[in-house]
Amino acid sequence: MATTIDPIDGLQPEGSEEQHNETLDPALLRRLYAYMLKCRMVEERIRLLYRQGRFAGNYFAAVGQEATEVGATLDLLPEDTTAPSHRNFVTHIMKGTPLRLMFAHIFGRKISPDQGRSAPAHCGYAPLNVITPSSTIAAQLNIGTGVALAYKMQHKPNIVVALSGEGSTSLGFWHEAVNFAGVHSLPIVFVVENNGYAESVPVALQTAVGDISLKAQAYGIPGVTVDGNNVTAVYSVMREAIDRARGGGGPTLLECKTYRWYGHSEIDPAKYRDPSELAYWKSRDPLPAMERYLQSSHLWSDQWKDELTAEFTREIDDAVEFAENSTPPTGEEALDHVYSFSIRERELERTVWEPQLIESLRRVG
Amino acid sequence: MAVMTYIDAINAALREEMTRDPRVFIMGEDVGKMGGAFKATKGLLDEFGSERVIDSPLAEGVIISASIGAAMAGMRPVPEIQFVDFITPAMDAITQQAAKLRYRSAGTQTCPMTIRICYGGGVGGGLYHSQSNTTWFAHTPGLVVVAPSTPYDAKGLLKAAIRDDNPVMFFEHKKLYRSIKEEVPDGDYTVPLLKAAIRRKGRDITAITYGYTLQLTLQAAEQMKRKHGVEVEVVDLRTLAPLDKDTFLESVAKTSRAVVIYEDNRTLGIGAEVSAIIAEQAFDCLDAPILRVAAPDVPLLPAASELEKFCVVSVDKIVAAFEQTLAH
Repeated sequence: MATTIDPIDGLQPEGSEEQHNETLDPALLRRLYAYMLKCRMVEERIRLLYRQGRFAGNYFAAVGQEATEVGATLDLLPEDTTAPSHRNFVTHIMKGTPLRLMFAHIFGRKISPDQGRSAPAHCGYAPLNVITPSSTIAAQLNIGTGVALAYKMQHKPNIVVALSGEGSTSLGFWHEAVNFAGVHSLPIVFVVENNGYAESVPVALQTAVGDISLKAQAYGIPGVTVDGNNVTAVYSVMREAIDRARGGGGPTLLECKTYRWYGHSEIDPAKYRDPSELAYWKSRDPLPAMERYLQSSHLWSDQWKDELTAEFTREIDDAVEFAENSTPPTGEEALDHVYSFSIRERELERTVWEPQLIESLRRVG
Repeated sequence: MAVMTYIDAINAALREEMTRDPRVFIMGEDVGKMGGAFKATKGLLDEFGSERVIDSPLAEGVIISASIGAAMAGMRPVPEIQFVDFITPAMDAITQQAAKLRYRSAGTQTCPMTIRICYGGGVGGGLYHSQSNTTWFAHTPGLVVVAPSTPYDAKGLLKAAIRDDNPVMFFEHKKLYRSIKEEVPDGDYTVPLLKAAIRRKGRDITAITYGYTLQLTLQAAEQMKRKHGVEVEVVDLRTLAPLDKDTFLESVAKTSRAVVIYEDNRTLGIGAEVSAIIAEQAFDCLDAPILRVAAPDVPLLPAASELEKFCVVSVDKIVAAFEQTLAH
């Protein structure tokens, strides 16, 4: 059977962006928009700082995917765990991680939750149960599954949301996690952000199924595909999945079809994509779509948006200033937190055994 | 006090720790109803139930990584890897996740987990039931690598490992499981991690080893005494990473001769690191080159008994190395 590689067709979800859930509370609808705006502004600022050469390393923006980032994580409790990938840095915002610490992480500062150890966008936050990501794909899903196993054993009402891209579903690790969670009916939601590309490889070269949510059938759990650019749709199906997990109903696989506006990282111009494809997805930008919906629901005013923009700008300015001026770690701190005990002495002070010790030891021994 | 095999000592340690601490649980292939491939977890399913003794899917990756997550969330998992030869699907989980979680979160997220691993050759197990591979993990900062060589240590070190806040790789030699017995206290005791032991005092040669080859080294030392009146001091490393350097350096400073015995491949095995440390830190104390008795650099272990015998460490090979260092 011939496979046609057409990422746009492959990604075009059922339903349109204008189909919104009518039952959501007005305040919540406005929050969904406000969080998407904040995520967009934070990431565009980080990208600007990168281009200005103000921090080292790289960044992995989820710009264009805000409806998924926000819809999938807004409804969590502080005690719930998120297991993010490198693409989900902005989910810290919904979880409640202080913006100052997020930027301290970007700048590799001592006060960052990782104290300058991890590359930008690979940051966890223990007080709010955000697992520190690694760069190896799908690893966070299995660790998240283990957290869910502990929650079940401890009879806690908490849940786990494990996020990954569609590329992760090609790895054995992804299948081990979903399979195990299904067997033990664990309180976890697997959110697959299908943005069409794993770095440069299109989804048609990852999997022969049209909808990644179909893979749920193989593990005996519910699977849902949703328009990942429609924030109320993502939020609504996510709430069902969260309720199911919290109520003891086990895991859900949620596929959100969306699109990454920029390259895999800041050094990737994404020339492997057709410009018309990007233009199409920019026309489906989740923010203006939600703006139109709020307008039609009489929940919008330009003044409100201006106020939000001003407030977020102030907050981001403050966080950047705080982070940039905050102290970096000292070189020797690279030796800390390898084990629960210190290895500084072992690494820094080497005793050299001299021949004259031999005689004294012979006498003692 | 009861006279116990190594496997019974492991079983006793698991039972006592599960009784002491409700956070401790076991997960692995065949650990439940069957009681483990070697019966290390025998009786524990009946005693503690299927929530705490989990027969996992046949998937080492999720056995270890789900244990990491559970440990992060406050549990004390003791996953089992049936044979170290099957550990490779869990390599990302162990070396990239467990080993680095504390580091990458600057100490705020940790995984106190003890991975029990059956290893070792000399039982005709062939290429995929004979490997050691301790070096893979000793080379990875963040992991504590332990390999007890006696029933007493097996129980005491396992209890210490389960109580430790670091991910511990706990290597149990399959040939030790039922081949030796010794008196093991009935009640609670621990043997400290990160601390080597002197198993035999001596002033002429320092022999450094761990695990099953300790038994062979002690026999070789006895032969040296009978044949040549030579006293070999035998150091049992017990913890392979981080290494207790002081114990073997002090011994080498006294004897001036060092032989390292280990059953893994020679190249970059634990003996390479021990030798390098001695060369760096006690060079002036040496009267002879440091020698290594180890397996040749071939996939371990070929199945036919002639091939296997050629590759494994033996008492004769150790004695020959002792004689060579003395002759220098």
